Amino acid sequence: MSRILSVLDVVKHYGKVKAVDGVSFEVAAGRITGLLGRNGAGKTTTLRMITGVLHPDSGRVELFDKGVDEARDRLGYLPEERGLYRKMRVLDHLLFLAEIKGRPPATMRSAAERWLKRFELWEKRDARVEALSKGNQQKVQLAGALLFDPDLVVLDEPGSGLDPVNVVLVRRLLQELAAEGKAILLSTHQMGEAEKLCDEIVLVHDGRVVKAGPLAEVKASGGRDAVHVEFEGDAAFLADLPGVASARVDTNRAELRLAPGADAQAVLSAAVGQLRILRFEVVAPSLEEVFLEAVGGGTAEEVAA
Amino acid sequence: MRKLWAVFKREYRETVRKPSFLVMTVLAPFLMAALMIVPALLAVKGMGERRVALLDGTGRLGDVAGALRKESPAGSSSFAGGGRRERDGGPAGKIVPEYVDLSAADLKNAVGPYLARLSKDSTPKEKLLDGVLLIPADAFQRPFTNLTYFSRSAVDLLAQERLGRAVNRALQRQRLAARGLEPADVDLLLSPLPVQTVQVTKSGQERTGGEGSFVVAMVFMALLFIPSLVYGQEVMRGVIQEKTDRVVEILVSSMTPMELLSGKILGMAAVGLTQMAVWLAMGGLFAGSGFSQAQTAGLDLSTILHPSIAVWFVVFFLLSYLVTVGAYAAGGSIVSSEKEAQQVLTPVMLVFMVPWFLMMPILTNPDSTLSVVLSLVPIYTPMTMFVRILVSEPPAWQVALSLVLSVATIAFLLKATAKIFRAGLLATGKRPTIPELWRWLKAA
Repeated sequence: MSRILSVLDVVKHYGKVKAVDGVSFEVAAGRITGLLGRNGAGKTTTLRMITGVLHPDSGRVELFDKGVDEARDRLGYLPEERGLYRKMRVLDHLLFLAEIKGRPPATMRSAAERWLKRFELWEKRDARVEALSKGNQQKVQLAGALLFDPDLVVLDEPGSGLDPVNVVLVRRLLQELAAEGKAILLSTHQMGEAEKLCDEIVLVHDGRVVKAGPLAEVKASGGRDAVHVEFEGDAAFLADLPGVASARVDTNRAELRLAPGADAQAVLSAAVGQLRILRFEVVAPSLEEVFLEAVGGGTAEEVAA
Repeated sequence: MRKLWAVFKREYRETVRKPSFLVMTVLAPFLMAALMIVPALLAVKGMGERRVALLDGTGRLGDVAGALRKESPAGSSSFAGGGRRERDGGPAGKIVPEYVDLSAADLKNAVGPYLARLSKDSTPKEKLLDGVLLIPADAFQRPFTNLTYFSRSAVDLLAQERLGRAVNRALQRQRLAARGLEPADVDLLLSPLPVQTVQVTKSGQERTGGEGSFVVAMVFMALLFIPSLVYGQEVMRGVIQEKTDRVVEILVSSMTPMELLSGKILGMAAVGLTQMAVWLAMGGLFAGSGFSQAQTAGLDLSTILHPSIAVWFVVFFLLSYLVTVGAYAAGGSIVSSEKEAQQVLTPVMLVFMVPWFLMMPILTNPDSTLSVVLSLVPIYTPMTMFVRILVSEPPAWQVALSLVLSVATIAFLLKATAKIFRAGLLATGKRPTIPELWRWLKAA
């Protein structure tokens, strides 16, 4: 497993606000690495330093053991705020995006055709970008980031603005690219999506890394078991049961975290007395719960917002 | 280099393909021609034929009418007054005199009916008069009497002046003849001499031009400044578009700001050159006739437009273009909308245009301290120094110094612009304050 990207203790201020405060992690070839955190956690700023859009105030980013500026042509970037020239024609635009990565347009024609066909946009190659639907514009942008066969693909919130069908399409695509040996780094605030897609997780909060490692390890680091309950009745009392460390109780669903050494069986017996239990499951905590625990507080809704 | 080239190509292609570019390129010469020709036509038409009644109380000035009829409608030679030609006609139409000998009549009563014919309401068209000139009966006897001109318009100055001159010449002629001078001697005594300007250069050459070089200098100043302004705005619009379209992040992640900026500026320069080439080709036809017209009007343009001027023009055009477009690109990068950009740039442009407002003192006194200082201030060099070269002969060291200063300034400006560009491109939302701009400049 070879290292493609190293982020070494990068710091970035905006005026007095510290957006990124000493973030370090690595991205390896053939792996999908997810940079996870809430809005404002510093994800986009970190990615912008990796892509050379911003320079870190201190710290260093190494791409292929070189500085960002020397290796930028091996990096494909899908920014958070998608941007294409509205008046340009689709095929021309793709060739332009490849050319500013140093690839002569003549050599990129077949690649452009391949990607446009894959995204079912080949018939629209001579349409102006502004004439495409938003989803199709996203696909053009993604094709532009992949067209020139970069070794590292950086995607800022790749799922945002895509319909469920396209989300699946993009997920498949990224898995395929990773299987080909490319390194993928993506940022997202959708923990569920990250759990399905990522091999490696970097959790950031307030500009710092709070947890990092392979997905399984990060999830296991939660250590204690989680209990998912589905029920009918008033379950407010669940939070006060002995052995329950914390609880998030909704109308007919609750997620409990057990205190160390507590017995899930005892919780079940107590619940059965007062609720009609539809489901009771002892599981490893979800990424979302691990994240919430790591950053302390907040609700799932806030995270997803 | 490939990236700069990619930006250059895109900039050029996308601009040239725009319908607005095509329209501008094809229509602008016609618009320009219309702007120049229509007012001239209107002036001639407006003067049109002027029917003026000459009411002669002396009864001895009948030949005035003949002289006026012979005058050509000289509206076509409105080119700066036509140099050597005596400005008898001026930019005016024809005066159709209607001579009436009133020596035998009682002036006071005889004038009435003619004045009535000035009124549009009560007079049939063919009898309508545009003016009535009254020559009093005692015009030959009393030195201080008045000619009176009645007209519908109080500011019918041109017709009034021409009539006055014609009548006075006839009066002078007859007064002199009355003193026993031969008609041939009278003509000789009264013939005026035109003034011709001859510029003596330091190398001893003599150049004639005068009014002509003034017009040429004006045209060149406009040519140095206006295209830069137009393409500068185009570049600025492009930069703002990239910001609102959010393409800029992709661009900045793929190349240095310098590559991006140079590609854009050069691409737009190529657009400008294309447009000018088309215009020159189209204008070649018109220019040929314009040149010969100027020639017949007594303007030898070739003495002003020798080949070295063309070289200087290209040099100063490039300087002017780079300074202006660089400023516009930087302006575009720090604002978030075109409207805002105009607010920021209008004062800047006024500062840039100082030589335009000071054109008269510079032209009439091209080697004064003011002119020398302005021509050495980098942002003013293109216009001022070029005009000085055109109408005078500035010392070589001043020219050299101005060029060195300009190039150095442009290099600095481009560097600074590239920095502001990078920081400004990503900062959307509020406009940066001066201290923030300063920080952007200092940041690597």
